[in-house]
Amino acid sequence: MNDKLTSKQLSKKITDEYMEDAFHAHDNGKLIGYTTAISPVEIFVAHDIVPIYPENHAVANLTAKKGVELCSVVEGMGYTNHLCAYARSDLGYRKTGVTVTRGIPDADLFLACNAQCFTLTKWFQVLARQGGQPVFVFDTPEHVMNKKAREEIVKYCVLQLKELIAFLEEKTKKKFDYDRLKEVMKYSAASSILYKEFLDMAQYKPSPISIFDALIGMAIAVYRRGTPECVDYYQTLVNEIQAKVDQGIGVLPKDQEKYRLYWENLPVWFKFSDHAKMLGSYGGVILTSLYVHAWSFDFDLNKDPLVTLAENYVNRFSNSTIEDRADMATDLFKKYSMNGMIMFMNRSCKAVSFAVPTLKDILTKRTGIPALVFESDMGDQRFYAESQVRTRIEAYFETLDRLGTAAA
Amino acid sequence: MWESLNLKDVVALARDPYPSIRQWARDTGKKVVGSTIADVPEEVIYAFDLLPVTILGTHKPLKKAPSHLPDNACSLARSNLELALSYEGDLFSGFVLPQVCDTTQHLSDIWRINFPDKYVESYLAPRQADRPSARYWVKEEIERLIASLGEWTGKTLTNEALTASILIHNENKRLLAELYEIKKKNPGTITNKQFFAMMKLSLQVDKAEFNKSLKSIKDGLKLKKGKGYTDVILVGITCDPPEIFDIFDELKLNIVGDTLVDGTRYLRGAPSLNGDLIDAMADRHFHRGFFSPIHDDVFKNFEEVKKLYKETKAKAIIYVHIEFCESQEYDLPDLKNLIKKEGIPMHVLDTEYQTTSLSHVLTRAQAFFESLKGGSL
Repeated sequence: MNDKLTSKQLSKKITDEYMEDAFHAHDNGKLIGYTTAISPVEIFVAHDIVPIYPENHAVANLTAKKGVELCSVVEGMGYTNHLCAYARSDLGYRKTGVTVTRGIPDADLFLACNAQCFTLTKWFQVLARQGGQPVFVFDTPEHVMNKKAREEIVKYCVLQLKELIAFLEEKTKKKFDYDRLKEVMKYSAASSILYKEFLDMAQYKPSPISIFDALIGMAIAVYRRGTPECVDYYQTLVNEIQAKVDQGIGVLPKDQEKYRLYWENLPVWFKFSDHAKMLGSYGGVILTSLYVHAWSFDFDLNKDPLVTLAENYVNRFSNSTIEDRADMATDLFKKYSMNGMIMFMNRSCKAVSFAVPTLKDILTKRTGIPALVFESDMGDQRFYAESQVRTRIEAYFETLDRLGTAAA
Repeated sequence: MWESLNLKDVVALARDPYPSIRQWARDTGKKVVGSTIADVPEEVIYAFDLLPVTILGTHKPLKKAPSHLPDNACSLARSNLELALSYEGDLFSGFVLPQVCDTTQHLSDIWRINFPDKYVESYLAPRQADRPSARYWVKEEIERLIASLGEWTGKTLTNEALTASILIHNENKRLLAELYEIKKKNPGTITNKQFFAMMKLSLQVDKAEFNKSLKSIKDGLKLKKGKGYTDVILVGITCDPPEIFDIFDELKLNIVGDTLVDGTRYLRGAPSLNGDLIDAMADRHFHRGFFSPIHDDVFKNFEEVKKLYKETKAKAIIYVHIEFCESQEYDLPDLKNLIKKEGIPMHVLDTEYQTTSLSHVLTRAQAFFESLKGGSL
């Protein structure tokens, strides 16, 4: 049915329908559940809870440069300016109603999974206090490098998923349908495979996608995984990118693609397109990051769905040890033939950034590739020094040129 | 080493306990295991014939930590890391590091990577406390720690050793609680600084020895009521540097209750010796008071603080905010509003480890308490 729609059109259609469903959730007897982008949302989908991601809404506002306006309001309420810009801008939206979208419906309940970060848990607690809704914390201890401990962590997480199901049954007065969960898991597994296939197309030379394509492309995986339309979307996307590969179309023409770069951290949302253009002018393309891979799950449909959910949500990069993160990144360096790295110290995201200095040391040592490190904020423009970032990028490419590390 | 200390000695040692710990380790040949706050079951470490030492930052300058943790990281975390990297690392044979937030999670990784030749274990505290799975997980983690320490030391933990350890630790908490009661009712007898120095040192030295000092200090006290004190309660995670207690003493504030993890919350963690000991240690996790990173309900925290305020008939609340502690920073605005609505006077004290000048803290506290009394103190 969707053969005639491009991935872009399909993404818009899916998003519009999803938001329409969300805004009419109560009319249709459904509840709205706010959740973190990395959380076992398959449980929500199987139980007809409409998942809403305040992070996505925050990204829309921050990309549209609303960060300062919204964050300032919140700082006036007593929150410090070094808390997450997603949280600050969202709390600012609650206070002022200012948004570049139609907004998001209020939550009936919250699911906070700390595999992503602890800040989201605290942010959701603030929202829950404002509205009086319940918060369920899905606690995922760090995926430590010990086999026995990992097995115990999975058991603990499975116990919690059962508690989550009981919590939802109580809130909805409806029995949870495990067969429906199995069906949802099939869609989630299928879309994850396709999403990963899409990301891995950055292996080609020239790369048909940059991280900026990946960041746009990941949206449906974040908020519609577990649905058939999510599978359709990624199949369409993969087909389109494969067509580019077949025609040798890259983000930059093959003879201009000099630097295939790794990016650490979330993007600077309000500089999204500027960065793509600026790097492109030096022959640089950022190919990937651990962040975009956070939604390429490896669900095992032969296992108990709760076990494979627990295994997959606990082992995300953001909940892995720095040593494991370094291994994951090293694999990407090899697979995508990267020859440069930009390590972004994001003031807003402590969960990712506090690993960056150590990760940089390990990666530069292992790969022999120098790193560009810069500090800023993913959403608060007050912490972005334009000329400083530009100068550092220029100097970095000069270094790479001098070292002669350009891609063959 | 720590058997016959007087209050003056305790205050001096609490400021820098490490030379004496170093000497003690040399004399006894025992290994020292460092932990950061909070909730590591120190009784287990002690039962393996190791000395558990709670690391509570350094007042020496930061040299290496800033290259591992940026300046918007919790100042206690940076200070602890600095202590291990630059000053006292060689003292410790191993570390058991609790993870309670994003910062402590990364801190354990950074620590392990920087001490590849030492024993470094993480203690993964649950970050939810209201469901049965949390109780299950605490017990699992205690058992995992026992197995890990057993593997490292080559010893098997016996019930006798654990019982003996818990007895010593419970005795320590009992003595501290008794001293606290004396201090609350007779502020002229023990200063705030002296009491919290006893608390701090208890977390860092051999309790079997230190209990003797505490007992003799207690027995030797000449009770003095003192005059002109203002009773206050202290709310937060920890309070440092110790000179802050000098300010409280100078202003004649009498701390009559607290929620600190190295204060009353620690004292409330005495496991029962009836029944299974590991079950008892798991249970005590849920009897302790509010700790922002692992408890999710600020309303409960507020009720706890309000109850304490009323029970102690305190005149004000002093909230100790550790600079860049994200967990506190998400809770504080609402907690502040709730306390304000209740009509309870509250003073927020911003602290940062490595602070050298406290004149601004004194000035602000002075102004607050002057306005509270409607005149000068």
